Amino acid sequence: MPNAPHHTDRHPADFELIRRVANGDEAALTALYDRYAGVVYSVAHRVLKDEGAAEEVLQDVFYQLWCNASRYDAARGTMAGWLLVSARNRAIDLLRRRKPADTNSMEEPVPLAFNLESSVARTQLISRVKSALGILTPAQRQVLELTYFAGMTHGEIAEKTGEPLGTVKTRLRAALHTLRQVLAP
Amino acid sequence: MNEHPQPEEVFDEYALGSLEGEDKQAFESHLRDCKTCARRLEEARARLALLSLAAPPITPPLRVREGLLAQVRAQSSGKVPKPAISRQPRRTLWLVPLLAAAAGALAITAVVLIRLNHRLSRQLAALEQKQAAMLAAQQEQQLQADKARRVLNVLTSPETVKVSLLPADAHPAPQGKAFYNSDKGLVFYAANLPPPPSGYTYQLWLVPLRGVPISAGVFRTDREGDGKVVLPPLPRGVPAKAFAVTIEPAGGRPQPTGKKVLIGAVS
Repeated sequence: MPNAPHHTDRHPADFELIRRVANGDEAALTALYDRYAGVVYSVAHRVLKDEGAAEEVLQDVFYQLWCNASRYDAARGTMAGWLLVSARNRAIDLLRRRKPADTNSMEEPVPLAFNLESSVARTQLISRVKSALGILTPAQRQVLELTYFAGMTHGEIAEKTGEPLGTVKTRLRAALHTLRQVLAP
Repeated sequence: MNEHPQPEEVFDEYALGSLEGEDKQAFESHLRDCKTCARRLEEARARLALLSLAAPPITPPLRVREGLLAQVRAQSSGKVPKPAISRQPRRTLWLVPLLAAAAGALAITAVVLIRLNHRLSRQLAALEQKQAAMLAAQQEQQLQADKARRVLNVLTSPETVKVSLLPADAHPAPQGKAFYNSDKGLVFYAANLPPPPSGYTYQLWLVPLRGVPISAGVFRTDREGDGKVVLPPLPRGVPAKAFAVTIEPAGGRPQPTGKKVLIGAVS
């Protein structure tokens, strides 16, 4: 795993923390919270553009973690991946006034190919993602962001941007193609 | 089994939630049987999860951490059941659907309770905030009430010296105060009245809501111009509209004839 940090008692690995959370260890939960609350809150805020709603998502995501930690399978996914996906999906559900979807469940592993356990690693990956988005054309980037951060369907994006549906699909596919190239582990 | 979906985009779009209609159904039915594609979907999900990191970084307020801990403690102390679903060993086959239904009901109950608890703890936080605001308002009111009480103490204390200040050169204006209770009677004080002309007297009148004025008696003033009428004989239960003082020939008159020197309406 790239950037694998050196784990110490003061900086236990995510999988160790989640194992302790499953045993009802509050301190382990707050350690995970302190590690990831920033990114979870940021994505919820980006989606919802509302502090109160973003706070709700943040608390909810970590409460779900607390309640379902025993069902988490560290061999199949990463904690950080689950948090990033959960934050986005729950925020979109709230934005679109949907009931939280099953896709947020703990059983869908998100095997993130990067380690985000140290703040240095997080900062590095954030800048890598930002430069990946910087490669996209503005139109591709817009379609990708409306899909990811607003949860819009192709049809909704076409309606919003005034572009033909085919153009929207083509742009999104081009954007996804580029991301596959530049965000490969 | 269907063919593997060839375009890589399908995995990405499914992970993004933007695959729709027949495409989505076809993909899902294939996914159920194909471990290779399930793995590819996980990879797509992990790759796209990184997009969350493109959100502008914001630091969450501390209250969320506190709220989370409060919620966790409320749940740990048994106020809310933890919605963990443990797998029951099979006993008898006919029990399985029954247990599944019961487990389902329990899970739903647990989820409902968790959501309820979540909402309640948020409401609690809001209420606590409101309570703090009310407490502040209450303290403010307390201060105001204390002040009002101190003001009243000064005004009503027997030791209090009352001094009216008037323009230094002005002749103090005549005034009167009537305390009237239609059942208990009338007490009237007048001040600063000049002495009436010789052969005349002051007379106090009760002006009832209906009908003509009723005499409440004549009175004299002392050297300072003070006079009073205390509990004069009056018919009982007459609602008053006003009180007035006139100057009348000595001994008074059954109805007012002279000049009104004081008048006051019952407010």
